[in-house]
Amino acid sequence: MITSWARWTLNQKLGLLLAVLGICALIIGSPYRGSSVTVDTAELARIVERETDHVSVEDLADWIIRGKAGFRLIDLRSGEEYARYHIPGAENVPLTALVGYGLQRNEKVILYSEGGIHSAQAWFFLKAADYGGVYLLRGGLDEWMEKILFPRLPSEGTPGGTVMFEKMKEVSRYFGGTPQSGRAEEQAAVTMTLPKLGAPSASPGGGQATTKKKKEGC
Amino acid sequence: MDAKVMMAGGAAGSERTPQPYWNPYPAGIGLGLVLLAAFVVMGRGLGASGAFSSLVAAATEAVAPAHARENPFYAEYLGDGTKNPLMDWLVFEVVGVFVGGFISGILAGRVRKAIERGPAISGATRLLLAFFGGGIMGFGAKLARGCTSGQALTGGAVLGVGSWAAMMAIFGGAYALAYFVRRQWQ
Amino acid sequence: MNAPFFKYGLFGDNVSLIVAFVIGIGFGFFLERAGFGSAKKLTAQFYLKDLSVFKVMFSAILTAMIGLFYLSWLGLVDLSLVYVSPTYIIPQTVGGLLLGAGFVVGGYCPGTSCVAVSTGKLDAVVFLTGIVAGILVFGEVFPWISTFYNSTPMGQITLPQLLNIPYGMVVFCVVLMAIGGFAGATWVEKKFSATKGA
Repeated sequence: MITSWARWTLNQKLGLLLAVLGICALIIGSPYRGSSVTVDTAELARIVERETDHVSVEDLADWIIRGKAGFRLIDLRSGEEYARYHIPGAENVPLTALVGYGLQRNEKVILYSEGGIHSAQAWFFLKAADYGGVYLLRGGLDEWMEKILFPRLPSEGTPGGTVMFEKMKEVSRYFGGTPQSGRAEEQAAVTMTLPKLGAPSASPGGGQATTKKKKEGC
Repeated sequence: MDAKVMMAGGAAGSERTPQPYWNPYPAGIGLGLVLLAAFVVMGRGLGASGAFSSLVAAATEAVAPAHARENPFYAEYLGDGTKNPLMDWLVFEVVGVFVGGFISGILAGRVRKAIERGPAISGATRLLLAFFGGGIMGFGAKLARGCTSGQALTGGAVLGVGSWAAMMAIFGGAYALAYFVRRQWQ
Repeated sequence: MNAPFFKYGLFGDNVSLIVAFVIGIGFGFFLERAGFGSAKKLTAQFYLKDLSVFKVMFSAILTAMIGLFYLSWLGLVDLSLVYVSPTYIIPQTVGGLLLGAGFVVGGYCPGTSCVAVSTGKLDAVVFLTGIVAGILVFGEVFPWISTFYNSTPMGQITLPQLLNIPYGMVVFCVVLMAIGGFAGATWVEKKFSATKGA
């Protein structure tokens, strides 16, 4: 005969509850949500229209020079392309690894790729997976190279434009680029070589990652 | 019965007779719920030894700053210098542990000055062993990346491989040595 | 589904310190409730007379593990955002052995020693001093042992990943082990307390 329920001790009742939970867990198998997401298309459309998700190359250059931390820069290209050149402080994460990479949802993340296509697609994935602070580098690495590394003095020089160009020359040199000035003939002679990486060592993204390291240890 | 044997020095403790401890299972469930709360609210678990590491790092920096910064171990706790190492999650948590233990002790009449030991050794020997035990534990806790709270309890609950290994090693090491120090406790 | 709250940015670092304090209070409270402010009770585990350490620790692990599993399954918590400490299998095992040795010699572990200090135990105060000394020694010899310290890394790996079996199955196995362990513990306590006498 099964002893009546009332005669079970507390410990035995807890044990039974435990066994039930364990068996259910076995049946359920995996507790992860998996990779399916729900997307609020209206909200995302609004963000795209307002362009609040963009970061310009000039702003990014400015932040890097000033050593402003507080964001992570993600390079979505292949490992080889990353090794050849990447924006200082960028972390190389392929698209497929992005959602599982361990980015925190309250972090500011700036994505870039060659142009804008992969970064736009990655932006969408992250926004759909509930990441709050995701931004695209407008124009991607192409625009970075054009405006920051190899800025060109416009041929019809306005005074304002010349002042701007002087400033961009400084920025360009900071990142190891070569400012392009002058006419088309000179252009051909000047080789646009991508700077070797080493300096500047200020890596806001990387620095953030290391100082965060001990925060969760025990 | 043990409580009366342990009563050392007079009115420091509460006047009530100490209440019996809780049944271990509900106590464990309570502890587990606190741990779960930490996971749900912070995305991290509990810990204890890390707070003392922050303390050591902060003290070393105060006494010998250059040495502290050179040493990669201390440097990890000191971060990039923008934040006081004592403004750390674990440090605040451990302060809470002191408070919580005190509250429970007061409510149960278990706060009293004492040196816990078996009848066969003296208080002085006990204190010496406590110091050495602590020393071994401190060193081991750093190697294991945590202590029983951080690795066994927290890491155990999230099924971390190293944590389970550490947990089994803790029990193994304690049982292995228990025979040799039995006089301290029996 | 906005949990873990901190990782969704619902509050910042300063509030998290207050959260830490409150959680710590809960932690210390239940440790003391279980009687872990007493070295005699803690070490009785290793003489098989009172296996409360095992019972409390595993009840806690089970509660949190099962809680996380079901909350994640229900979509209330993002399990992938819960921190898993990186595994360094050899140093952690060696460290664990030392932790165990220190536990039975010193009588406490770092968390329980705090509870013991706040309930008046002088030996716990000395124990904590010992911990600080041990950490200091570690820090000083660190340059020489750092290779060992960083050896055999396996990343943030969990048992389901390592054994390549479903998470739920691991949960089930842990539950089974624990039930067996609890039953065994009751038997062991009866046996060893009876023979040793009052």
